[in-house]
Amino acid sequence: MRFTIFQESRKGAREVNQDRLAYTYSRETLLLVIADGMGGHVGGEIAAQIAVRLFIERFQQEAKPILRNPLKFMQETMLRAHAALGSYASQFSMLETPRTTCVAVVVQGGQAYWAHVGDSRFYLLRRGRLIATTKDHSKVQYLVDQGIIAPQDVALHPDRNKIFSCLGGMTEPVIDLSKRTPILDGDILILCTDGLWSVYPHGEMATMLTSTPILTTAPQILREAERRGGAEGDNASAIIVRWGPETLADEPTTTDNLVPGQFETQVDTTVTLTDRAGMQRDLTDDEIERAIAEIQSTIQKYRK
Amino acid sequence: MAVTNQALPSGYALLNYRIDRQISRGGFSIVYRAFDETGQPVAIKEYLPSSLVLRTEGDIVRASSAENLTSFRYGMKCFFEEGRALAKINHPNVVRVLNFFRANETVYMVMRYERGRTLQQQIQMRQDQMSERFVRQVFMQLLNGLREVHTHKILHLDIKPANIYLRTDGSPVLLDFGAARQTLTTNRPKLAPMYTPGFAAPEQYRDHDRLGPWTDVYGTGASMFACLAAFAPQAADARLQEDHLVSAKKIWSGQYSDNLLEVIDWCLRLDPLERPQSVFALQRAIRDIAPAKRKLTFLGNLKRLLFSEIGA
Repeated sequence: MRFTIFQESRKGAREVNQDRLAYTYSRETLLLVIADGMGGHVGGEIAAQIAVRLFIERFQQEAKPILRNPLKFMQETMLRAHAALGSYASQFSMLETPRTTCVAVVVQGGQAYWAHVGDSRFYLLRRGRLIATTKDHSKVQYLVDQGIIAPQDVALHPDRNKIFSCLGGMTEPVIDLSKRTPILDGDILILCTDGLWSVYPHGEMATMLTSTPILTTAPQILREAERRGGAEGDNASAIIVRWGPETLADEPTTTDNLVPGQFETQVDTTVTLTDRAGMQRDLTDDEIERAIAEIQSTIQKYRK
Repeated sequence: MAVTNQALPSGYALLNYRIDRQISRGGFSIVYRAFDETGQPVAIKEYLPSSLVLRTEGDIVRASSAENLTSFRYGMKCFFEEGRALAKINHPNVVRVLNFFRANETVYMVMRYERGRTLQQQIQMRQDQMSERFVRQVFMQLLNGLREVHTHKILHLDIKPANIYLRTDGSPVLLDFGAARQTLTTNRPKLAPMYTPGFAAPEQYRDHDRLGPWTDVYGTGASMFACLAAFAPQAADARLQEDHLVSAKKIWSGQYSDNLLEVIDWCLRLDPLERPQSVFALQRAIRDIAPAKRKLTFLGNLKRLLFSEIGA
């Protein structure tokens, strides 16, 4: 397999980056996965982290050397992640189960397979045109399907963040599985979170990526997405792959040198659970001091 | 044997307080009796979640792993919520927070120390029925406190006999705002509260968007029910599946006034919209209660009341 790959996550205007992304590949099989943790607290980060980590771990157990059934693999991994989030919450007496969206793609034997839950998306672009995508499990997508709002109204709709399927939710997740889809050299695969697609129409990304080296263009897209998000900007993340030998300036990755049983993995460099400094971002010493000072002054104020 | 968090020892000096003894231990904290520098007793609540063993010796709280630290800090936010909620409220029927500070790598909340026992203990110790007068007295005062809580846009969300403290003079104090969240305000991410089966309203199990004063009204009704029955009503989630709760009116007809029983049944309606919609509405309904019908029980009630005061 030969491909050029780029992944990046940008925090936007948020205090915490709750997006997690990773790719891993063996000689024969490539896995891409993105999760967008939900909620305004540490739970979201944990959920996204658990989902992505579980994908990587299971891939390395199952891809020997190829996945027997890529769609079943993705479905099972998502269900296990869902169950793992429930037990994580009870193990640590969390008041609410951490939740996350998830989209994963497997490329193997010249075919692509994908699965998703929530509103993180997959786009498959061929010669500058969108040939396949995921359909969000969101309220706004439902409104589009019903003809109540137009597709271009989705990005600004007040309910655009409401999704009805996720990992870690109260009910079993709805997992959409793709058909087996042949991949051709030059195809572009994009996995992204809503922080990116809500500010970047896929047509615009297609135009930019088709004619330029992705290792140059993709970082520009992410930076621009963060800029467009502005003061309200969500975390924006993407994994972008150009399939096949490089015809533009990029140096493609080849899996030819990997021996069976060997994997290359790249997990994003945003905060991870074992990153002590990062974790304290959830509630820093400063924030603790401020909370105490605030309570102290309230006590004084209401003292008779 | 399971390893548990170690309590601070008697005589331990914590800021300007001296620990006397552990009073209680809950899922998220240990409560101590302590004395301040003037010798006044206080209750100090130490944030120390029991699911995370963080202190097996000494006094410093240490997270044993990075993931534990995450959970520990996450729960600390809830402890702050409780402090914030209580700091604003200065009412004789709501526990009073006196101080809040950080030490030993965790946080502490100092509260006024009250002498007495919980309504839960009172229910368990009683040999005979609780008098209507006693129930009404306790709950009318308690509702004054709860009304003050709701005025500050805070829901208690865990009203139950174990969280209602009876001072030795019989007046109630609402305790433990660990589940309290400012859910009366909008556009804030809500935390799912802890709930106690039997006392938690159905919307606490599934419909967090529908929490409101009526949710605490359900807990109040369930607590009144427990005073009469000496056990909690059927849990709301089970009631939603198959409602086996027999109405108070059916069980105690003739022993308590119809009005009291009707109010209890009203509070325990599964549909939040069918309950009293505010504490004020509930208080008005209780005020309307006519005096006990059977004059003959008056003496009996008086006797019980006397016994309960002596026994307390």
